[in-house]
Amino acid sequence: MQHFRNFCIIAHIDHGKSTLADRLLERTGRVSAREMTYNQILDDNPLEQERGITIKLHAIQMDYVAKDGQNYKLNLIDTPGHVDFSYEVSRSLSACEGALLVVDATQGVEAQTISNLFMAIDQGLEIIPVINKIDLPAAVTTIETVKQQVMDLIGCKEEDMILASAKSGIGIDEILEAVIQRVPPPTGDPNKPLRALIYDSIFDSYRGVVVNVRVFDGVMKEKDKIRFMNTGYEYELDEVGVLFMSRQRTKVLEAGNVGYFTAAIRRLQDTKVGDTVTHANAPCDESIAGFREVKPMVFSGIYPADSDDFEDLREALGKLTLNDAAITYEPETSSALGFGFRCGFLGLLHMEIVQERLEREFNQTIVTTVPNVRYRVITTKDEELWVDNPSQLPNPTLIADIQEPYIRAQIISPTEYTGAIMKLCIERRGTMVGQSYLSADRVDMTFELPLAEVVFDFYDKLKSNTRGYASLDYEYSDYKSGQLVRMDILLNGEPVDALSSIVHRQKAHEWGKKLCAKLKELIPRQMFEVAIQAAIGSKIIARESISAIRKNVLAKCYGGDISRKRKLIEKQKEGKKRMKQVGRVEIPQEAFLAVLSID
Amino acid sequence: MSVLDSPSNNGCNSIYIHVPFCEKKCTYCDFYSIENTEHIDAFVGDVIAEIALRLQNITQPVQPSTIFFGGGTPTLLTANHIERILHALPTPLANAEITMEANPGTISPEKLSEYRSLGVNRLSIGVQSFNPSELEFLTRIHSREQAIDAVHHARKAGFDNVNIDVMFALPSQTAASLSATLQQVLALGTEHVSAYSLIYEHGTPLFRQMKRGLVIPTPEDVDAELYELVISTLTSAGYRQYEVSNFAHPDKECRHNLAYWHARDHLSVGPSAHGLLNGERYWNHRSLSSWQRLVRMGTLPQANTETLDERETMNEFVFLTLRSDGIPVDQVHRRFGFDVRTALGARLADWIQDDLIADSNGVLRLTSHGYAVCDELTVHVLEACDQAWESSRAGTQTNITATE
Repeated sequence: MQHFRNFCIIAHIDHGKSTLADRLLERTGRVSAREMTYNQILDDNPLEQERGITIKLHAIQMDYVAKDGQNYKLNLIDTPGHVDFSYEVSRSLSACEGALLVVDATQGVEAQTISNLFMAIDQGLEIIPVINKIDLPAAVTTIETVKQQVMDLIGCKEEDMILASAKSGIGIDEILEAVIQRVPPPTGDPNKPLRALIYDSIFDSYRGVVVNVRVFDGVMKEKDKIRFMNTGYEYELDEVGVLFMSRQRTKVLEAGNVGYFTAAIRRLQDTKVGDTVTHANAPCDESIAGFREVKPMVFSGIYPADSDDFEDLREALGKLTLNDAAITYEPETSSALGFGFRCGFLGLLHMEIVQERLEREFNQTIVTTVPNVRYRVITTKDEELWVDNPSQLPNPTLIADIQEPYIRAQIISPTEYTGAIMKLCIERRGTMVGQSYLSADRVDMTFELPLAEVVFDFYDKLKSNTRGYASLDYEYSDYKSGQLVRMDILLNGEPVDALSSIVHRQKAHEWGKKLCAKLKELIPRQMFEVAIQAAIGSKIIARESISAIRKNVLAKCYGGDISRKRKLIEKQKEGKKRMKQVGRVEIPQEAFLAVLSID
Repeated sequence: MSVLDSPSNNGCNSIYIHVPFCEKKCTYCDFYSIENTEHIDAFVGDVIAEIALRLQNITQPVQPSTIFFGGGTPTLLTANHIERILHALPTPLANAEITMEANPGTISPEKLSEYRSLGVNRLSIGVQSFNPSELEFLTRIHSREQAIDAVHHARKAGFDNVNIDVMFALPSQTAASLSATLQQVLALGTEHVSAYSLIYEHGTPLFRQMKRGLVIPTPEDVDAELYELVISTLTSAGYRQYEVSNFAHPDKECRHNLAYWHARDHLSVGPSAHGLLNGERYWNHRSLSSWQRLVRMGTLPQANTETLDERETMNEFVFLTLRSDGIPVDQVHRRFGFDVRTALGARLADWIQDDLIADSNGVLRLTSHGYAVCDELTVHVLEACDQAWESSRAGTQTNITATE
């Protein structure tokens, strides 16, 4: 056990985490330079590579002969790179004893790095600061400030920091040596009952669920009967091993090591991240602390573009949950969109990923409704209701209180944008709860914000208002009462359930006006006038109208015009198929996301 | 009426001859024509050759009840040319409608008398406007006076079935100037009027002028108002609208064009001409020289053909009848096996209520409001017809399986 080191890398997007990981793999001979053609090996999902983020966790074991002449086994555990997955981050951190804190020499510390760093410090991990990209020309002027930031942040000495360039291979040996010397070897007792932490699992169509674990105590062997302590499920282990570039069967996994097992598990949902694995016959006394059920925070309706494809969509969602246990879905019906599903996601990015995967991997053409949060409604009869679809909010007379989820957002930015950030957060009903200076020109601000105000375009606005310099991280706090009302949209007097939203009373008028104007842009003219109204209850708060088409006819239709015309109509019919109908009004699919494109 | 109702699949009764020559091409026109008129003689010979080729290849009887010389400018052809072409064709039925398009700048009273004596009995005069500055904008080769004279000459030559083409929604046109043109039409009292909203056709000089911002198209609202003016002026003067752009005195509808709009077979010759025979549409090369070369080699001079499947045939039939004199409900049922009224369901009631469609004498016919939004309605109608047609077929298939 003395020769194991379990560590991870904490870094902001683009600060060089993946490049550094590649370099470590190359240096320890786990991958040859030839295999490095597809850079950044840990991100193996095309979506991850495109977005430069990690969604699924990876771990790789490396063999390393240190300067002391001894052979060490290094387990590098990857962490997801987005705030939607902060629970997964916390679980993968608890599988480690140390972390490399990678900071770009020209950029400095960012919000997400800080929150992950603090999580790692809380869990008692040894932090090795690495200043990366030191060979960039711009680093000459910025490196001293960045060093100072890092020292202030973790209270280390200048000589504790490793100067590196993962791209050019500078400082790689120093990093590996630091891992050996500074990261403590795992503690734990191979003779105690088995106690292992699930930090990730993936679905393999041949073997079922492949569970990634860190063994704290005891030994895990093939054929062992195991139990998941939180869910209570029991299985017999089929295969046990460690992770190199691919799975490497070892039959046994001992305390201190990181590896995987399979056990003919069919449902990814049975293996919950953070759960403890123990032996069914000789269980350990206590499960590993920190387990919680991951709950979806953002909801949206997903409907087939062509209502005939409902069953296909159901099947696609079923398959998708095989390797994404975090998504929830249940059937719902909309008068505007027909049969579909109300889906729950960890956050906005997660939602986008699911939508993209449905379209790319499962060839579904879908219509999605505007995302919303889950509201807690207390009725006048003192019942509690959870509402994740605005159109299901009860009649206002039956509501005693509506509560909405809040987040605690940490924003780090150059000081010159402080005003812009304050303005944005206040517009979004936020309150500032903390402010500190990381250096003379960098500020760290904390806000309490309703999640509902963040789910649309907060992040984009933040980025554009700060010319891309601000970084954001957030964690969910709790539910708070708000002056919330349901705003309905009516087309020619008929409510369109898929366009209902829950908004703050004071913002309702402005919001209603903008939404009506946007819909006027997006809904094509029809053969009759279309009235667009925004209403709270029976009160109309905004209106627009789309005038009727007055003339649309081809003046001449002879000879060659006839087949041209037939083909054109054929195309127009296709276009019409993609429209949804409410009453007599035809609505293009983009209209259901109209809210997202409102300034 | 019996001629109009005759089914399309037992014979070809309409013949079109495209004459691709113009003294000067108008900037808005996208029909195929060239300005070099030297080769007209040779062209006539080649047309006669194509007619012979087509008649050899055709599998159904050809008995012309309509013949149409279109262009281009057919009146660039001499009486002798016309005579030779007519001789090459099977003998027309006794009551056949034989039309020539005429440009007022290319006709004389003598020429018209000669045409008339050969059996040409309908003249379609391309006037476009009686307003001098509009004529100039359209780059027409004739004056307002020549246009008026053309109608008088036609009458003198014995034509009792005359059409005038006019255009509206011209960039500088006002309701007043259009109204003046229409009043002149009424004063001339032709049996038929075609009134076209100006189309900016791809590839025409006018289209390029629009793209460069030199010509600004008439806004939809104005176009709609002018169209209403056209319809109300002509219908209240005794014309009946029987197609989007066509108006006629009772029984003076253009039977040749109705053959197109009832999707009936027609044999067409000349460069760029489109024909329809036995469910197959063909189109000739849109180049005089390519067309000529093929004809002289004894090959059908067509660039391509398309065979319509049953659904496409149904679609064409429905949209062509919708935009002309109405969808004959029984005929659709007989030919395609579904009921249009049932297919449209509640929408039909909405459209009748909105005064877009009238349901009378077994025909679903556009009202004057309906004609204005015809293309919008068409998509809805065909969508519904497709569904009804599919389920009627599914029903038929089930029946077959059941009887087996």
